[in-house]
Amino acid sequence: MRQLFAPGADAILRLALFVVAAGSVMMLVVAGAVANSDYVSMVGIAPAQPVPFSHKHHSGELGLDCRYCHATVETEATAGMPPTYTCMTCHSQIWTGAPMLAPVRDSLASHTPLAWTRVNRLPDYVYFNHAIHVSKGIGCSSCHGDMTAMQMTMRAQSFHMDFCLQCHRNPAANVRPIGEVLNMTWQAPPDQMARGRALVAQYHIRGAAVLTDCSTCHR
Amino acid sequence: MSSMTVRPHADSQAAARLRDHFPGAADLLHTHRRQFMRVMAASLALGGLAGCNDDDTRDDIVPPVQQSQGQAPGETLTYASATLMDGFANGVRVTTRDGRPLKIEGNPQHPWSQGGTDVFGQASVLGLYDPFRSQTVTHLTRDSDWPTFRGAMVGRLAALRASGGAGLAILLGPVTSPTLAAQIAQQQGVWPKMRVYSAGGVTREAVYEGTQRAFGQALETHYDFSGVRVAVCLDGDLLDAGPHQVGTARRWAAARRKAAAQGGLLTLFAAGPVPNLTSAKADHAICASPALIDTMARALLAQAGGGQAPALPPQAEAWCAAVWAALDGARGAGVVQAGVHASPAVQECVHRLNAALGNTGRTVLHTDPVLIRGQDLRILVADVDRGDVHSLLILGANPVYESPGDVNFAALLGKVSLCIHAGMIVDETAQSVDWHLPMAHPLESWGDARSVDGTASLIQPTIAPLYDGKTASEILSLLFEQEPRSALEILRAHWAGLGDAGWRAAQLSGVLAGGGLRPYDVQPTNAPLAQAAPRAAGFELLFRPDPTVWDGAWADNAWLQELPKPLTKITWENVVGLSPATAAALNVANGDHVVLRVGAQDVEGPVWVIAGQDDGVVSVTLGYGRRVEGQLSAGLGFDAYRLRRLSDPWGVAGVAVHRTGRTQDLACTQSHTTMEGHDFIRVQTMGAAPVGDGDRAAPTLYAAQEGDGRAWGMVIDLDACIGCNACITACQAENNIAVVGRDAVLQGREMQWLRVDVYADARAEAAHGGGEDAAVVAPVRFQPVPCMQCEQAPCEVGCPVEATLHDHEGLNLMVYNRCIGTRACSGYCPYKVRRFNWTDYSAGAAPSMVEQRNPDVTVRARGVMEKCTYCVQRIVQARIVSDRDDTPIADGAVITACQGACPTGAIVFGDLARKDSAVARAHADPRRYALLGELNTRPRTTYLAAQAPALAQRG
Repeated sequence: MRQLFAPGADAILRLALFVVAAGSVMMLVVAGAVANSDYVSMVGIAPAQPVPFSHKHHSGELGLDCRYCHATVETEATAGMPPTYTCMTCHSQIWTGAPMLAPVRDSLASHTPLAWTRVNRLPDYVYFNHAIHVSKGIGCSSCHGDMTAMQMTMRAQSFHMDFCLQCHRNPAANVRPIGEVLNMTWQAPPDQMARGRALVAQYHIRGAAVLTDCSTCHR
Repeated sequence: MSSMTVRPHADSQAAARLRDHFPGAADLLHTHRRQFMRVMAASLALGGLAGCNDDDTRDDIVPPVQQSQGQAPGETLTYASATLMDGFANGVRVTTRDGRPLKIEGNPQHPWSQGGTDVFGQASVLGLYDPFRSQTVTHLTRDSDWPTFRGAMVGRLAALRASGGAGLAILLGPVTSPTLAAQIAQQQGVWPKMRVYSAGGVTREAVYEGTQRAFGQALETHYDFSGVRVAVCLDGDLLDAGPHQVGTARRWAAARRKAAAQGGLLTLFAAGPVPNLTSAKADHAICASPALIDTMARALLAQAGGGQAPALPPQAEAWCAAVWAALDGARGAGVVQAGVHASPAVQECVHRLNAALGNTGRTVLHTDPVLIRGQDLRILVADVDRGDVHSLLILGANPVYESPGDVNFAALLGKVSLCIHAGMIVDETAQSVDWHLPMAHPLESWGDARSVDGTASLIQPTIAPLYDGKTASEILSLLFEQEPRSALEILRAHWAGLGDAGWRAAQLSGVLAGGGLRPYDVQPTNAPLAQAAPRAAGFELLFRPDPTVWDGAWADNAWLQELPKPLTKITWENVVGLSPATAAALNVANGDHVVLRVGAQDVEGPVWVIAGQDDGVVSVTLGYGRRVEGQLSAGLGFDAYRLRRLSDPWGVAGVAVHRTGRTQDLACTQSHTTMEGHDFIRVQTMGAAPVGDGDRAAPTLYAAQEGDGRAWGMVIDLDACIGCNACITACQAENNIAVVGRDAVLQGREMQWLRVDVYADARAEAAHGGGEDAAVVAPVRFQPVPCMQCEQAPCEVGCPVEATLHDHEGLNLMVYNRCIGTRACSGYCPYKVRRFNWTDYSAGAAPSMVEQRNPDVTVRARGVMEKCTYCVQRIVQARIVSDRDDTPIADGAVITACQGACPTGAIVFGDLARKDSAVARAHADPRRYALLGELNTRPRTTYLAAQAPALAQRG
C-alpha cells in the first residue's frame, strides 16, 4: 500500500507548528507594541483646539508663570483651566482684533465658556492630585514635558499605570528642589539619586510601600 | 424567599417605572435565564468595541467664563442651611462642589440638631435632582408661565378687593417659616375675610389639642435631657422619625451616656400598641391597646394626684408601678412623652403628669406652636361644602391624596371656581386644579424655618433653581404685591433687625440669632379630665407615618423607597401589621393579602407579622398607594388614607379584616431576626461583669499586616444606636451607591454598603420565657454593619486578582478596576458586607441624577464587587492635606459619612494608633467586642455592647 504521508510531511508539520507558535508570540508582541505605541497612547499628538493657544509663546517666550492660568495647581487636585476673563486680562489690550482670538471674544460676549479639548487624561478610577505632587518636589515637566517648547499642547507621557508607578516606587529619581518645580527644562543632575534621597527625607515623602498602596490613587 | 433565583417578573407597571428612573437597573427585569445568557454574551462582545471608543463628555475641559469669587474648581464649599421635615428645620451643612450640592452634613453649631441628621435630610439632595420634579407652571394641565399666571391673577384679585377677600382661602402644608407667617399675617390685614387653613398627612392637631386641654393653650413641647434620669413614653415617638427626631435622639443619647459614665442608667419605659424605635430602645417596654394606654395614663396621673387609680390588667399594673416608682424617685428629672399619634386625652394626661411631677419647665419645655396653624381640614371641608370658598391657594400640601377616606377632596375642589396648587412635584392635587405652580427645592431657595425647639434657621440656596420653581414666599409676593420680590429680598426685609453683621453670622452658623421661641412657664388648668371614650368592638386600625416615606411627601425619593423600614426591613411598599396571635387567628402569614374594610371603603395589602404588637390592633403606614402615573411612587403599596376618618386621624375602630387568598413576596432585606444562640449583639447589664472582649487576642498563624503608624478603626455604640437609618442614606449619598429596585431587592441584590441588622434581645426573651408574659416586649437591638475592615481579612485570601487587599493604614481596600467579578470575596466574607453590581445599576441614570454623584468616588460598573471603604476618599483627602502642610491628621479630621450623619453619635471613627483619639478611648471601653470575634478576623470595626438594667429590676 502507498504511504499515506510523503517523506517531507514531518518537516511541513514542524514548520506549521513553528509558524503557529511564532505567530502567536508575534501577535502578542505586536498587540503589546500597538497598545503602547504613541498612536494609541496619543503621546506627541496635538489635538485641534478652539483657539490655537501656544504654550511656547506664552510661557516660553513671554515668560508667563504657569500659575497665572493654572491657578489652583498648588492647592487643589486639579491645576485649573483659565476662565475667559483670564485670557481677556491681556487680550482686551493687545491683539484685540486678531481673528485667531475671535472665539475668546465671543465667549466673553455671549458668556459661553470655551470648550478646550482635553489633552492629558486619566481613567475615571484614578484620582490624581496636583497639589501634593507640586508641593513635594515633582515638577510640571516630569509629567507634562517641556511646555515652553510646545507650540500646540500635546501629551508628553502615556500616563499608563507603569508611568505613575516608576516614580511611586522610586520617588528619589524624580524629586527636585521645590524651587525647580516650575522649571520646564530641569534636568536631573548626575548625582540625582543621592540628592533625591535627601529631598525625600526632607519633604517627608513616604516610602515606596505606602506610595504604591492602591488607595493612594484608586478609590 | 430564596435570594438566588432568577425569576421571571410580571409587574410590568413597576418595571416600566423603574426603567424610566433607573434604566440600568431595569434591563434584566423580565429576563429568563436563557435570555440573560444571550444578553450577557452580546454585552460582552459590544463591551469590547465600546472600549475602543474614546468619545465622551470628559474629552472637553470647560472652564467658566468668569470664575466665581472664593470658588476654586474642584474645591469643596460648605453652606450652613436647613433641611425640612414636615416644615420643621434641622440645621445642616450642605457640601457643594463646582456649584452642585452633593451631600448633607450635620451642623454642630445648630442648637437643635447639634450636628445630627436624619434620613429625610440626607435624602433631600436626591430630591433636588429628581428629573420628575415639577418644572413649569401649568394651566389646566397645559404649559404656561409665571407672567401669564400673574396676569391672570391680578384682575381676579382686584375684583375681590371690595369684599375684603371673602371666599379667598389659603391651604398651607406643614410650614414653620417665620417670614411666611409674617407675610400671611400682613395679607390678612389687607384681606380681612381671607381664610387660612392647614393640612398635612401627619397632623399635629392631637399634640396641640392635648396642651390646649391641659394648659388652656396650644403649645409646642420639647425636652431638655441634661438632668433626666427616667423617660416614659405612652404611645410615644421620642426616638422615632419625625421633625423632632434628630435633636431629641441626640439629647437622649448624650444624657444616657452621661448617666452611664456615672454608673447609672437613663431608663426608658415605653408602652404602645405598635412597636417603633422608641419601644425598641426601651429598657422596659409593654404593648398595650390605645384604650389601655388611656387607662394607664389616667392611672399614673391619679397616682401623682393621690387619687384613685383605675383598675389595670396585671402586667400593665406592674409596668405602671415600676414607672411610678421611677418617676416618683426622679421628680423634676423625668420626662413623660406621648407621640404625635397619641390621642388628645393621653396627651393631656401626660402634660398634667409632667406638671404634677415638677418636670414641666425643667425637663419638659413649652413654647408657642412652631407650626403655622390655620384652621383645621374639617373646617375647610365644611366651608368648601357650603360654597364659602371660591378661590383656593394650596401651598405645599397634597390634600387630594392626604385627605381621609370620608372626604372626597377632588370632588370638593369642583365647588371651588379657582384652585391654585403650588408644589415640588406634580402630585394628585396638582392634577385636579386649575393652576399648578412649581415650587423650589429648599436646597435651591432662600428661606427660613423653625426647629421643634423654636430655633429660627436660615435656608440658603446652594444652586440656582434647576427648574422654574419659586418659594412659597415668592408665590405670595407674586400674587399679592405690586412689585413681586425675590425670596432673598423678602427674607432680608423680615430679618432686617439682624443688620449686615447679624445676617453674615446667620449665613455662617445657619441660625437666625434672636429669632427663636423662648420656652415659658405654663400652669395646668383645673378642668377635669374628659371621660374615656367607649371603644367599638372589632379590630382597631392604627395609622402610623411611614418611617421612610413619611406621609407620602417623600414617596418619590428612590433612596428612601429602597431604605429598609427600621423594624420590618421591608422596602418599596407598606404592609398590614398584625400581631403573631392575630395572624394565627386569621390564618395568614407574611405576604398573604388581606382586605381591610372600614364602612364602604376597603383596601388590600400584604400582611406582615409584627412581634410586640397588640393583639387587638391592625397597623398600617401612610404614604403609599400613590396614583400619579410616571412618578416613582405610583402603584407601590396601598393607600391607607382611604380608611382614615376625618374624626380621628390616627385610629379607626371596628375594621374588618378578611384574607383574600392572594399572596406576594415582600422585598425584605433581613428575614431572620433571632440570634440562634450567637452573641452578635451583646448586652451589658448594669453592675455585671464586663461583656466586652477586653485585651484578649487569639493567636494567629498569619503574619501581622505591616503598618506605617496609622490604624483606622471604628467603634459603634449599640446602646446609642436607635436604628434610624441615617447612616445608610448618608453612605448612599457619599459613595454613589445605586438603587436597584424592588425586584432586585427581592433577589437579595440590594447595594447599600451599610446595613442595620435588627435582632430581638435573646437574653430578654429567655428571661421572660416568652408565653405567659406576652405583654412585655423584649427590647429590639440594632446593629449597623459596615465592612469590618478585618486585619486578617478572609476576603483577601479569596480574591484571585488581588482586587481586595490591605493598605498600610489598615484599610481593607476594594480596587474596582482590578475586580473581575468572581464574587469569591463575598463568599469568603463572614459578615456579608460585600455587594455585587449585577446589572450596571448606575448606567443610564437621568443626566440630572448624575449631577449628584460624588466626584471623589468611582461609579462602579457591572460585574464589580463593592463595599464600605471607611470613606477612603475622605481619608485620602485628609492625608493629602496633612502631607502637603506637613501637619499630622488631627483626631476628628476624618469623619466618615455614616459617623457624620448619626444623630446620636453612635459611630466613632479615627486612628486607633493614637492613644488620645476618641476612637481609641471608645476602643478601651469594657463594653467593646468584635462581631464574630471567634473567627479571629480581627475586625477594625468593633461594637460597644448595649446596656440594660439589672435583671432583678426587670420585673
